[in-house]
Amino acid sequence: MANIELLNNIDHKNLKVKIERSAELGDNVWFTPTFPQEFKVLQNHYPIVFTKNTETGQFQAVALLGFEAGENLFLDENGWNANYIPLSIMRQPFLIGFQHAEKDGVPIKQMVVSVDMDNPRVNETEGEAVFLEHGGNTGYLEQVNSILKLISDGFERNSAFIDMLMGMDLLESFVLDVELDDGSQHLMSGFYTINEESLSGLTGDDLVILNNNGHLEPIYMAIASMSNIPKLIEMKNSLLETKTPHADD
Amino acid sequence: MIVGGGSAGWLTAGILAAEHRTNSPEGLRVKLVESPDVKPIGVGEGTWPTMRDTLRKMGVSETDFIRECDASFKQASRFDRWVTGADDDCYYHPFALPNGYGDVNLVSQWQALPSPKPYAEVVSFQAQLCYHQRAPKQITTPEWAAVANYAYHLDAGKFGQFLQKFCTENLGVEHVLDHVTGVNPADNGDIASLETGANGQIEGDLFIDCTGFASLLLGRHYGIGLKSRKEVLFCDTALALQVPYETENSPIASNTISTAQKAGWIWDIGLPTRRGTGHVYSSAHTTDDDAEMALRSYIETSGGDSNRGSVRKISINPGHRETFWHHNCVAVGISAGFIEPLEASALALIELSATMISTELPATREIMDTVSKRFNERFLYRWDRIIDFLKLHYVLSKRTDSDFWLDNRRTETIPARLLELMELWRYQPPSRSDLFQIEEIFPSASYQYVLYGMGFEPEQALPRRSDDAALAERFFQENAGMTRKYLAGLPSNRDLLDLVMRHGMQKI
Repeated sequence: MANIELLNNIDHKNLKVKIERSAELGDNVWFTPTFPQEFKVLQNHYPIVFTKNTETGQFQAVALLGFEAGENLFLDENGWNANYIPLSIMRQPFLIGFQHAEKDGVPIKQMVVSVDMDNPRVNETEGEAVFLEHGGNTGYLEQVNSILKLISDGFERNSAFIDMLMGMDLLESFVLDVELDDGSQHLMSGFYTINEESLSGLTGDDLVILNNNGHLEPIYMAIASMSNIPKLIEMKNSLLETKTPHADD
Repeated sequence: MIVGGGSAGWLTAGILAAEHRTNSPEGLRVKLVESPDVKPIGVGEGTWPTMRDTLRKMGVSETDFIRECDASFKQASRFDRWVTGADDDCYYHPFALPNGYGDVNLVSQWQALPSPKPYAEVVSFQAQLCYHQRAPKQITTPEWAAVANYAYHLDAGKFGQFLQKFCTENLGVEHVLDHVTGVNPADNGDIASLETGANGQIEGDLFIDCTGFASLLLGRHYGIGLKSRKEVLFCDTALALQVPYETENSPIASNTISTAQKAGWIWDIGLPTRRGTGHVYSSAHTTDDDAEMALRSYIETSGGDSNRGSVRKISINPGHRETFWHHNCVAVGISAGFIEPLEASALALIELSATMISTELPATREIMDTVSKRFNERFLYRWDRIIDFLKLHYVLSKRTDSDFWLDNRRTETIPARLLELMELWRYQPPSRSDLFQIEEIFPSASYQYVLYGMGFEPEQALPRRSDDAALAERFFQENAGMTRKYLAGLPSNRDLLDLVMRHGMQKI
């Protein structure tokens, strides 16, 4: 379970964060949440699909990293093999939260940064320092802050994006039936993708609405990202090859 | 032209309007007139799983339906004290078909089990889900889809309002709030138009009577009589009382609870915000005062406040019209007939009636006579099957504590077809061939759940190929596996309803 604390330069004066990428540090996830503004950079590397949050049933966009729980095909002993790492991975072990505050007598929502003290990256000896000696933010923390800001803005606009997809019947479920070179079959269900037939059937008005809200580009980015699925299968196959020696070896 | 705006009127309007494109200029015109003074009876609070399909086809969102009708999920009926009247006398009639049904004789192999277990539990995971007050699905399951087959409990008053709004805003149904003051006949005996207080004459091609006990058109205008079935089903009075939950986190039962009494039985239906209870009884076997005392005592022992609220009395003349479709007038809902709500048949019958009217909607006046003949045959058959099935619950009882139970088992009160089938079932379990219509209101599996739930003991028969012990055992094991899996994965009924309130369900 997470142990969330509000980040501050007194309690967390000596906090350090390991920033290398590895399964031990919690990067062995098979998908990670994303949001429409990130689709453009993601679609070069990862399939972008949609899945339901198991707690709320609400749709969220995710970057697919593997074919089963615990499998991140981009991860090996040298770290993460892609030159862009999703922001929801990069933010670890920090989280964004909101506090109700008051400004000039008006209640406002204030963004606050928290840290999960149980995250394996957190320690006091190794990695990047969070605070400077006299309590100021390090460059690393500034970078984390800007990532969290991007994520926060992104997820705020996410529900409008999803609502519009649902309203125009632009999502459909898909079952990925992967057959690997070793003959094993992987059936993945519970994922959804853009319904291209619905999309091509949209009338002018709907297209204008999508475009004016900035939703059209991420839709096409998500479609384009599906070309990464064969790449992902390829990665899985070569992984199997290195693991299983050939009979004639 | 639909007269009456309760669940019957609006469900019929919705089913017709959705199928016949009433909201397009070339579609069928559907008009519903209801009196502004008449309050719907609002007693039908339990549905069959068919309601999911009915509402989905109308284009309703399940999230909206649950939120606005105070609806909850129902997976079974539980019958307490029906067999012996003892404290531990209880069985389930779940909606899910037995696992492996039709592939093997489950009954003979269930009987042969070394240690006796309830039939419903051995063949279906749903009894355990109900026992643990679990929901039939997860929040990630799309609208209308089920992990375990389910129906609803709902607030009938809110349901009528919800359907009214949906029908008028989305389906193009015209709503007229006015008194029907008379009926103008045509030369051929049809109804030509209705006389109304403020809107003058309203004409129509087909008049659907959804006016409840009043049965304005079929009963009053045409004088079609009510065929009483009181000689079979004695219950003729109901006292209804709404009960608040003890706390706002009290579990919500995911089955109807029906508890047998000395002269009838008590229903107990869990909605998200309250329970609906009621005592249905035979006025020949008890008094209103005793019946109310029994209801209040039941509420007391089931954790409610027995002193709150005043009961609402509903008189039932158990039975149905001699015919349902006469000339260009057809009755749907209570105006067609009413019987004690032991297996929630009221709303299901409305769906079936409206669906048949919609499917076979006469294209011309000439063809209407053919359609009405088919309709009458089919619904007389259906009423008979409902009455048989309800009577079965009474015939199988072993209670001897009152004349009500003893009288119920007197041969002359039992329909001949039911007697014959019960004789047959001594030698073979109920099967699809006992109930041969395509849309049987109660499938043969329902008869099995009641028969074996109530301890009906078949005779030993010669072995058959379908007595495949290994295959049956595999189905039983599979069912046990599913039971464990679903108990681990499904939230409580209340938790899921809370999530639906907060987040809603997805369409896909």
